[in-house]
Amino acid sequence: MESQGQYIGSNSGMDGVDQKEGKVANQRKTGTCESILRILAFMLTVTAAVVLGVSKQTEIVSVKIIPTLPPIDLPATAKWHYLSAFVYFVVANAIACAYAAFSLVLSFANRGTKSSLGLVIILLDLLMVALLFSCNGAATAIGLMGYQGNSHVQWKKVCNVFGRFCNHAAAAIVLSMLGSLAFMYLVVLAALGLHRRSK
Amino acid sequence: MGSTDKPADLETAKEVPPPPKGAAYGSTPPPPKHDYFFVVDVVLRFLVFAASLTSVLVIVISKQTVHLGPRISVAKFNHSPAFIYFVAALSVAGLYAILTTLASLSVIWKPILSTKFLLHFVFLDVLVLGLVASATGTAGGVAYIGYKGNEHTQWQKVCSTFDKFCQHVVGALATSLFASVLLVLLVWLSTFTLHRKIPK
Repeated sequence: MESQGQYIGSNSGMDGVDQKEGKVANQRKTGTCESILRILAFMLTVTAAVVLGVSKQTEIVSVKIIPTLPPIDLPATAKWHYLSAFVYFVVANAIACAYAAFSLVLSFANRGTKSSLGLVIILLDLLMVALLFSCNGAATAIGLMGYQGNSHVQWKKVCNVFGRFCNHAAAAIVLSMLGSLAFMYLVVLAALGLHRRSK
Repeated sequence: MGSTDKPADLETAKEVPPPPKGAAYGSTPPPPKHDYFFVVDVVLRFLVFAASLTSVLVIVISKQTVHLGPRISVAKFNHSPAFIYFVAALSVAGLYAILTTLASLSVIWKPILSTKFLLHFVFLDVLVLGLVASATGTAGGVAYIGYKGNEHTQWQKVCSTFDKFCQHVVGALATSLFASVLLVLLVWLSTFTLHRKIPK
């Protein structure tokens, strides 16, 4: 993009005007890229929240209540709000998708102006990066615990019973990770834009 | 534009050192300001290093042995993959923090390419922020189950037995949370300084 601006500048005589035009076009392209990333982040986080939010599985589990009697078959349900880590995951993703929609409006308002609104947007983006990464970490840890169990503290694995639920959770975690990468890339893009303009 | 501006940046950066030698004080107010920024940067980075080192040490020494009647049970951090990830991630963060502290100090001594340093600090700091935040989330998720248990999955709470171990984990979590807050501040400080360098 920068070389294009230079090319135009050398082609016609008026260097300053064309460089300015190139800069404006550059900013516009960055703005479009930012909007696309925000929409992508919104879609990814909302899908992650919905995929985990709607997942529910009921299975018949044989439970041994008294060792001497034969096991009794009982229906058991797996839902996202039975595990606090998944609750955190869904809430964090809901916050992130609401923020993504809100920040799209903010970034439109910020476009072209030189106010310090951009800094506020960067700070909020950073907070979303931290929030999404921590909720991904929590959900992954609990998902792994459900998948493998832990023999040291006698936490048995549950994914052999609730396989479909675990698949939903894994899909939601992958989507949310992509969403958090989108937010991370937004911060990087904003820093690049500031660096380019600070010369 | 980037290629043409680079020498100019170098030139201006090379022009910065002379003022202390000469008597021209009033003509160049900006350089002391941005040196001031790098001092804050060094302090914050050193705090990140200290926090991550503390949390790694606290969780590594948190071995607890409990006699439950005839059998002996041991709680160690490497019994859970989540805590192993936590230790690895915070070790990486601590190493990164001490390296960038040195880099930042070198900028204070020789303020060449300071904007370039700022840009790269933002990229790497965001990555390390993701690492530390995910490590905190991972360990926090497992620690919460250990503290409260979960009746739906029949996971019994273990903190009633291993109280000292759990206290260590909570301490480590608090310091890593502190480190991630500091990293957010660091990234924001770098972008703020970049923003201030934009010619009006």
